[in-house]
Amino acid sequence: MSLSDQDVIRFSRHIILPEVGGRGQKRLKEASVLVAGLGASGSAAALYLAAAGVGGLTLWDPGVVTPQDLQGAIAHDWSRIGLPRARSAAVPLRAIYPENRMDVLEREADLLGDLPAHNVVVLSAGNWAELGPAAVRGGASAVFCGAHGADGAVTVVTPGSPCLGCLGAEQASLLGLFPDHGGIAAAAGVVGVMAATEAIKLILGVGTPLAGRVMRYNGWDCRFEEASFGAREGCACWHG
Amino acid sequence: MLAGKSVLIVGAGGLGSPAAYQLAAAGVGRICLCDADLVDLSNLQRQILHFSPDVGQPKVMSGAAKLRALNPAVVVEEYRGRLTAANARELFAPYDVVLDCSDNFATRYLVNDACVLLGKPQVHGSIFQFDGQVTVFQPGAGPCYRCVYPQPPAPGSVPSCAMAGVIGVLPGLVGSVMAMEAVKLLTGQGAPLVGRLVIYNALDMEFAEVRIRHDPACPICGEAPSICELIDYEAFCGGDGL
Ligand SMILES: [Zn+2]
Ligand SMILES: [Zn+2]
Repeated sequence: MSLSDQDVIRFSRHIILPEVGGRGQKRLKEASVLVAGLGASGSAAALYLAAAGVGGLTLWDPGVVTPQDLQGAIAHDWSRIGLPRARSAAVPLRAIYPENRMDVLEREADLLGDLPAHNVVVLSAGNWAELGPAAVRGGASAVFCGAHGADGAVTVVTPGSPCLGCLGAEQASLLGLFPDHGGIAAAAGVVGVMAATEAIKLILGVGTPLAGRVMRYNGWDCRFEEASFGAREGCACWHG
Repeated sequence: MLAGKSVLIVGAGGLGSPAAYQLAAAGVGRICLCDADLVDLSNLQRQILHFSPDVGQPKVMSGAAKLRALNPAVVVEEYRGRLTAANARELFAPYDVVLDCSDNFATRYLVNDACVLLGKPQVHGSIFQFDGQVTVFQPGAGPCYRCVYPQPPAPGSVPSCAMAGVIGVLPGLVGSVMAMEAVKLLTGQGAPLVGRLVIYNALDMEFAEVRIRHDPACPICGEAPSICELIDYEAFCGGDGL
């Protein structure tokens, strides 16, 4: 799959970066990312993944767009109230980058089997304890993000890195690392864009991924705090 | 509470896109987008307020349409034109908070000086390649842009976004942090980034915070200010007198 003439202009600000270049942009176009959850932080993540030129986007969300969603989830609008969230979010994502291959999963049952077919999965909804291992054992990297009020947290699990089982559910919850729940738009933007940034870094193979690290954002104080975690002995790790 | 408040966003591009979306979602009553540019294909990699069919449209028009669709209760105003020393004070006066989402030094000094002269809080953000910065300048409560950056960089010493490139997600994070700071200023809740500069590196996903201080010798917010009205910012940043 090569870059179109339009792509070369569209992504010129990426292509000029040594860390991306034409090769990296092509890699983004060939890559596929599954976005599970199109609430507050998932919306921001999906919009930025589409804009950055990720060529394959698979969207899943169990809910429909409600008026309350629009206070936080910017991939939807009033004209799409009542639509399944994944179908609603596909509208702006296609409009942003029409060359993108978009897939909307309607059933949760399809989701589990589909996870390993992606380079990266961005999870802001669903049962992480089930979806995470299915993705990582299948060879995908997983980015977990969630926004709650003005706070949120993000982490990455790659095949080979410590998993959320190593961190433990109690510790994850203490660090604010759980799916989207009532996130306000700006904080969800911070968290969702962090998740998109990690997905893009993983696809490009640049920088230091957030594996074994949880990044927390506290919006009211504007504090970014990092907690690191290692492999836990006895953990039946997702890659193991 | 936010419904009675207003913001002016200077620049409907990389930083202005997420900031405008999120402030509209949050229900800020009145949002003005100020930008003279048309949507260009090369903007779409990071400016999520604009879609492919919008290429060639004025950015304020394209942006306002998205904000109205997201939250019809918000009054969205479009100022299609350049911010200048001649219009800045009048333009800023009716708004509670100004967000500097511009991409050039002349506009940054202009936004700063107009905000200081009006006593208006300003949320400031900037981006370069994989790095970003955010802070809040609140007259009387901390430094201003000139306290921190007394002189513009030599002309040509800082390459533009077109020459240096920028990772598309970078303004998404910086603009979102700016929106949260604006919400804090508008509601009076939380601890805004007054006197604190957050520095972000996307490649390593690392954040640092540095203290920035008010300079008593600052030419506009110091004890004996020499700048009492807006000046010629193109000349100030273009090398004249340097
Ligand atoms: Zn483990
Ligand atoms: Zn000053």
